[in-house]
Amino acid sequence: MTEPYFFDPLQLWRDAVSKLEKSTNERANAQLKAPGVARSLQDAATVSFGLQQAYAKLIENYLRQANLPSRKQIQDLAETLQRIEDKLDGLLPVAEGLQPSRTRRPPAAVAAAATATAEKTAARHSGGKARRTRGAGARKE
Amino acid sequence: MAATTGFSWPESPLTERLRQEVERSVQRAFKGLELAGAPPPQVGRSPKTTLYRRGTLELVHYRAQMDEVYRIPLLIVMAPTNKGYILDLAPGQSFVEFLLQHGFDVYMVDWNAPTMMERDLQLEDYVLDFIPECIRRVQQHSGEADVNVVGYCAGGMLSVLYQALHADSPVRHLVCLTTPIDFSKMDLFRVMSDEGTFDVDGFVERYGVIPASVISAGFEALRPATKMAGQIKLWDNLWNDQFVKGFRRMERWGDETLPLPGGYFRQTVKRLLRENALFKGTLQLGGERIDLKKIRIPLLHMVAQYDHIVPAGASAPLIRQVGSQDKEEVVLPGGHVSIAAGANAVKRAWPKLGRWLEGRSV
Repeated sequence: MTEPYFFDPLQLWRDAVSKLEKSTNERANAQLKAPGVARSLQDAATVSFGLQQAYAKLIENYLRQANLPSRKQIQDLAETLQRIEDKLDGLLPVAEGLQPSRTRRPPAAVAAAATATAEKTAARHSGGKARRTRGAGARKE
Repeated sequence: MAATTGFSWPESPLTERLRQEVERSVQRAFKGLELAGAPPPQVGRSPKTTLYRRGTLELVHYRAQMDEVYRIPLLIVMAPTNKGYILDLAPGQSFVEFLLQHGFDVYMVDWNAPTMMERDLQLEDYVLDFIPECIRRVQQHSGEADVNVVGYCAGGMLSVLYQALHADSPVRHLVCLTTPIDFSKMDLFRVMSDEGTFDVDGFVERYGVIPASVISAGFEALRPATKMAGQIKLWDNLWNDQFVKGFRRMERWGDETLPLPGGYFRQTVKRLLRENALFKGTLQLGGERIDLKKIRIPLLHMVAQYDHIVPAGASAPLIRQVGSQDKEEVVLPGGHVSIAAGANAVKRAWPKLGRWLEGRSV
């Protein structure tokens, strides 16, 4: 059943957001392929990373003056601790529960095998019945 | 007043819609406040044990959920740029959980942020050391000589490189998810890494380990408006708990993009993106040329039709180039991540992958 039409400004707004997202992405992708734009972006990124590095250097100098560890020193310490933890992990026995048996068959194969078994059983039963019938007939004869 | 006079406004779709919108606005206000103080969403909750960890490399084993599992263990190789929990987001939304519930014995090569000591790691380290080491450990842990491998994105590429160099490896079947081969089709990444505008050697020299912010900025540049639009959609759907949970998990995954070792990044830019060496057959690792024809094991490649990170054209040559007789490419509607997580994956990708693997895991 289709919903009755009525003017829904919020739905229009949602559709507009999706369309704007799509068209902005497409336009940006097309522009990024132009070598001039790519170069400008790379230049902007280089300047941005350069500024970040200069700022990081400034902070590092300040922390050294204040006799405080920098983020990098703490990271190095964390990495050292991680390496020690790795080595400890290597020494610990892996504790896991009982391993399941590795005998699982695909459902299709299980179903096919079950059908085959059922058919065999049915054939055996019908064969047995037939033999019994024949035997009874022979005795009657 | 209305009750005393017996008058009530007629229930038109418009009034119903307005009432719904007012309710949602109230909920948005309350839930927005809740969200501001909420802890990060839980992810990667399938029970697991870390079997091996060496720097950036981590091998985990997920605890079996069935009494009987398939004989051949399954090793998932994740892309080094992202955490593996995208494949184990939440109960009911987890590829790993799906595999466990379908009787597979699941292992995963996951990655941690590389340290400065690992700045020089290269493709050779991943293909000739990390993956073989993990396969050996899976064999040892499972007691089985054979292993099946599923590689996602760059994890698929590393698995393909490994298999091309180890024709007699214990890997019996290979599944690749959105695996790039022809990098000339990855237009935007190529533009961003163009020799004329990007000094990769200087960049690697300066940083050593490429910051995660650079990697995620590269991904975001492919769809620059999507992050902002995502925030607007989040606000619009704040009343919807399920939407918010799903959004926050994916957002967390995106925010936890991993840094990359400079050596690996340099090779990716120079050899893969600029020279397209894997597609052209000129890529050499450990002194040996990568020839995809040497891959002869059965292979399934699942490609996303609207993948903006690895476009279908970039991944399509895999099936053509491998030497396997038993090979199949499945193109599914959706994007790069929809192969691994989300409604599309639950409905289409995982069942297809499960059916392909189950007969090949005994």
